[in-house]
Amino acid sequence: MATIANGAESAAAARLSPRATAWLLGCAGMLVALAVWTVLSRLFAHGGGVINRLPTPLAVARKLVAYAGNDLASDLLASLHVFAVGWLVGAASAALIGLVLGRSDWLGRIFLPIVEAIRPVSSIAWVPLAIVWFGFGLTSKVFLVGLAVFLVVIVYAVDGSRRVPADLERTATMLGMNDRQRFASLVLPGTLTEVLIGSRVALMSGWGTVIVAELVAADSGLGAHLIAVEQSYDVPAVMATMICFAATGFAMNAAFTWAERRMLPWRHDREREAT
Amino acid sequence: MTRPRRLLARHVALPLVGVECVLAIWQATLAVYRLPAIVLPSPLAVAKTLVDLVQTAAFWRDVGVSLFEFVTGYAIGVVLGMFVGMLMGEARRFRMAATPVVESLRFVVPFAWIPLTILWFGTSYVGKILLVAYAVFFVMVVSTARAVAQVEPTLSRVGTMLGMSRWRLAWQVHLRAAAPTLASAARAAAAIGWIAVVAAEYVGASAGLGLMITNAATSLATSVVIGGMVVIGVIGAGVSAGIGVLARRWFDYR
Repeated sequence: MATIANGAESAAAARLSPRATAWLLGCAGMLVALAVWTVLSRLFAHGGGVINRLPTPLAVARKLVAYAGNDLASDLLASLHVFAVGWLVGAASAALIGLVLGRSDWLGRIFLPIVEAIRPVSSIAWVPLAIVWFGFGLTSKVFLVGLAVFLVVIVYAVDGSRRVPADLERTATMLGMNDRQRFASLVLPGTLTEVLIGSRVALMSGWGTVIVAELVAADSGLGAHLIAVEQSYDVPAVMATMICFAATGFAMNAAFTWAERRMLPWRHDREREAT
Repeated sequence: MTRPRRLLARHVALPLVGVECVLAIWQATLAVYRLPAIVLPSPLAVAKTLVDLVQTAAFWRDVGVSLFEFVTGYAIGVVLGMFVGMLMGEARRFRMAATPVVESLRFVVPFAWIPLTILWFGTSYVGKILLVAYAVFFVMVVSTARAVAQVEPTLSRVGTMLGMSRWRLAWQVHLRAAAPTLASAARAAAAIGWIAVVAAEYVGASAGLGLMITNAATSLATSVVIGGMVVIGVIGAGVSAGIGVLARRWFDYR
């Protein structure tokens, strides 16, 4: 059995390059998934079962096109606006506070346990409190996204500010650098590198927080649209909006990974070696 | 100063100073801005609310419902995720076929599913359980597939030499070699799953901690909101610490 499979595999490999095989199989996988979805939607088309309103992929695609021609752009812009402001505020404050807490032994010992105590309370748990404090406007969403990003990035910032490679430290001593020079040429670049990586990691948790914040405090954005179509029982439109969320998240992640590769090529090499 | 006393000072006294600072700032904000309890209750009021909450049956019912949804969904997600992850790690062609599907679904974050689960399953447990299972599933699939694919090749060769079949090799060698990675993935998945339950309960639920604090927020019982957040945080930390300990005991042989 195993030899037959291996034989078939090597025969296929002889004809196609590994990359082409991966592409073909990947497309086949996607097609199978779409086919299963279509069959399921036919099965559930006429009442019965719990999932009694599963639209076909085609219906969802039609809704997506309709939404794209209507107010997708303005909703997306509103969500991205919330996200960008929150993400920048969160990452910048985490960099600053992480640097201070990481470099000062006393302050770190006093305040880092508090940060550690807040971290398990995910930013999602703050949603009701943010609404009480800041209402349904932009501020509460920016606060929530900023908090989500802050709680991720601060770990990277503290870590980066503390972990100066020993050989660089020795070189600095040998060159007779004073504290300020050391800070400017060793600590700061190290911290900023880690902050950059942390900001990429925080992308998805920040974007997830945008979704929840907009679902609960809905006044504009993709999440508000999602709640609006949900309340009119429009399942195809709900799924189309979910696709918009996913595509945006994917695009942001891809853009950041690309930017990180250009800006921190040595980090990328190390990660590639590790995986 | 003796060593234990110094350690005590460092690890207990200084964090306590930090807690004092936060409480002092909290109280000072109240005193300076004369905030009503609706906006920000005093730390003491929150503590009192928590003590009162713990004595009510409704609170324990909410905790029970949320934990039940979490545990059931988590178990389903971990088992299915590890199974599919193993398949992806072991069978190269299955991995190639499944990767695009998994990767594209991975970006549909669990929170985006909340409205759909409400349309499909109403405010019942089923929707939340499936949501947790979904959240946990993708964390486990990705890390299991990666961990299994990265197992030391020598181990596989030794297994083949000993005449192990392909699936026995997968089950007895690869899974065990990947276990430490799986243990930490299981822990990370617990935190994500727990918060997915809470978020789903905000939007539509008939009971649970998320519903408790959104109800408290709409009736402006802010001390209950903050108390509920503390409970959510404590349970979240407790659950992932507990799963960490269990996973280490079962999986991590190092």
